[in-house]
Amino acid sequence: MTSTPDINTHTPESSEAQPQGPLKGFKVLDVSIMAAGPWTGALLGMLGAEVIKVEPPDGDGTRWVEPTQNGMGTNFLCMNVNKKGITLDFKSPEGIEHAKALVAQSDIFIQNFRVGVIERLGLDYESVKKINPAIIYCAISGFGEVGPLSKAGCADYIMQAYSGFARTNGPPGETLEAFRFTGFLDLTTASVATEAVLAAVLEREITGEGQKVEVSMLEAAYEIQATRMAEILGAQECPSPLGSQSRGIVPDRAYPSLDKEIFVTAHNDEEWQRFCLALEVSHLSADPRFQTNALRVQHRQELDELLLPIFAKRPALWWLRTFERHRVPAGLAHQFETFRYHQQVTANEMIGQVHTKDWGTVSVGGLPWHFSHTPCQITPAPQPGEHTQTVLGSLKP
Amino acid sequence: MSAMKSIRIVELGQGVAAPLATLRMHDLGAQVIKLEEATGDWLRHAEPQIAGLSMSAAFFELNRGKLSVKLSDKPETLKSQILHLLRDADVFVTDKNDAELKDMGLDEPEKTLLSLNPKLIFVQITPWGEHGPWKDKPGSELIAQAMAGYTRYLSREGSPACRLGADVAGAGSGIFAAQAILAALIARRRNHSQGQKISVSLLNSLLSMKSIHLAAQTNPDHYSGPRVGGANYPPEKGWMTKDEPIFFAFGGSVGAQGRPGWVKFIEEAGFHELLEDKRFDPIGRNSTGYGSRVQELKAEYERFFSRYSGEELVEMIRKYAGNAATYQSPAASIRHPQTTALEVVREVQSGDGQRHEVRAFPARFSKMKLQPTGVAPALGEHTQKVLVGFEESGSH
Repeated sequence: MTSTPDINTHTPESSEAQPQGPLKGFKVLDVSIMAAGPWTGALLGMLGAEVIKVEPPDGDGTRWVEPTQNGMGTNFLCMNVNKKGITLDFKSPEGIEHAKALVAQSDIFIQNFRVGVIERLGLDYESVKKINPAIIYCAISGFGEVGPLSKAGCADYIMQAYSGFARTNGPPGETLEAFRFTGFLDLTTASVATEAVLAAVLEREITGEGQKVEVSMLEAAYEIQATRMAEILGAQECPSPLGSQSRGIVPDRAYPSLDKEIFVTAHNDEEWQRFCLALEVSHLSADPRFQTNALRVQHRQELDELLLPIFAKRPALWWLRTFERHRVPAGLAHQFETFRYHQQVTANEMIGQVHTKDWGTVSVGGLPWHFSHTPCQITPAPQPGEHTQTVLGSLKP
Repeated sequence: MSAMKSIRIVELGQGVAAPLATLRMHDLGAQVIKLEEATGDWLRHAEPQIAGLSMSAAFFELNRGKLSVKLSDKPETLKSQILHLLRDADVFVTDKNDAELKDMGLDEPEKTLLSLNPKLIFVQITPWGEHGPWKDKPGSELIAQAMAGYTRYLSREGSPACRLGADVAGAGSGIFAAQAILAALIARRRNHSQGQKISVSLLNSLLSMKSIHLAAQTNPDHYSGPRVGGANYPPEKGWMTKDEPIFFAFGGSVGAQGRPGWVKFIEEAGFHELLEDKRFDPIGRNSTGYGSRVQELKAEYERFFSRYSGEELVEMIRKYAGNAATYQSPAASIRHPQTTALEVVREVQSGDGQRHEVRAFPARFSKMKLQPTGVAPALGEHTQKVLVGFEESGSH
């Protein structure tokens, strides 16, 4: 266990280290830019694939997205870990030829151009599969490849608005609040894309056949809202903002205490009974208004009127300890500067640290999975074009 | 999908994460056996419920097509039932931590299970990870969001906290767990049938998906933009128009110069004053979207936007290669013609002929044609069928 977040740490030299992980031996060609496509490549790289990121001569726009660290966009640094970097000009025949030569030796191809652009470049699936029929071709778009919005551009906040994501956040009675955490739906899309690519790779292991995988930000946004969408489809109930509360279970919210809010959840009747013991209100667990979750949801307001004055009498830390003793889920809100040094975060390497050659040390999201027999690692993003000569030099004439 | 046809997955999970992971494996063709204790998955009892069925709508969606086994309430039998089912399983997904598994008789679960079945892929999803002082501490969606700093990006300091309405910790972990299963199956095919243990956690998932913000806050050159200051911005509700709020953005994704559509949009909309205003940059990048001057200039745009409806502005902005959308409700979104064109919503049919709408696997494949199947099982509906031979074999 470490006492500082010096985890998943790699020196600049180790960016050249041999990939490790369950996808060791697979090759990925990533011509995507910004976030959703690049983080797909990064996840596959973390899983052990060798990933070549192709940038246009003008560079991936994330190099300029604020903020920068020592002059480089931090988005570029975190979305392109575990990759080699090369520059190709797709406006020149030579650049396209190089891309096609790389396609021929790749297992997976990732692109997130607007629908229509990739065909003009001659790197659409129909063209690519003629070069390499076994390739898994991952196309990431905003709204999908068919339908009235198939050619519309997209970004995180656009999809928060379009998919209904923002309409489920905010204080009770409000109609919407966007998540000011830019890029969350981009990374969700990358995560869904990685899942889909892996399904296609596994299928290829059996059949030997490649295929195209289409992933949209829209469908990914629904996937991360799986439970809320299910409530619309199954119970014809559209979710709305409820502050810190959930629609489904009670109690499950932040309660103001003497000093700050304590976040607490009772998923089922057993936890509810322990919750009552912790608050020294055992009579409430026998109260017919609160005996089942359905009744607690129905009498949510009455219950809170009883609980709020109790929470207000003691500080959050007291309640935290009390709930811990009674095995009731409870916690406090954190921020970067507190969770980055939290023993639980460091012990599980939930934040990675990468050391870049020119831009210093950068904290990035840690590996989301920890494999016992095929361990993964995080390596720094490349210098733009750092590997152009070596990668192109290795192509067969 | 031929690769998953012969795969048997045993799930001992509740709520969102483990059930979502195995739901997607079911969609890909695997058989999923869901193990439940006496009172069943807590999500069964959540609200809202499906009329006429004794289960929540969320439970139905996340557990369709699975076989439900109600485990014995006798500890020794329960342990034997689990081991009986895992002996030949390919994948075991659980959200029980090691202490809870020990209480079920599975001491040192990784060692025990991989000794029993060396090919087993054992995916453990916990709230706080497999190591550290909190490894056995209970958690929840809400607490994971708060702990990972997500609640800072809603509401504002000093006001009551807000959560994300979506269950992002559960669903995000479910997606990562699905990746882990698939990657481990690929590795198992290539590595002499070797199984392994994989750990996923709610907090880890949220922090992995926070990579952009972790990097931004490491050592930024300037205090600029939402990735540095966003937590302290006022609540974000888009730009108000004549009738409804929209979100919009100009600025490019390639190179530093971006797309020039902003000027044309401003001209067509008749907002010429903005072109003379030095606070607006020439491509609209800083004053729209996530730009660094959005907070300062939002009211200026809204003064002009009041002339148009949200839909009119969205159409005009898209015409000039900007990105825009109105803030739809989730119900309106999932019925929108774009969503319909993607065939996101499908139907499954129960034994009595009743039809239920569900969402399909969230991606399309050119060769694998995935169709959602099955309804969610009643608690223990398949206990006898799945455990046939258990008594006779003397496994307990």
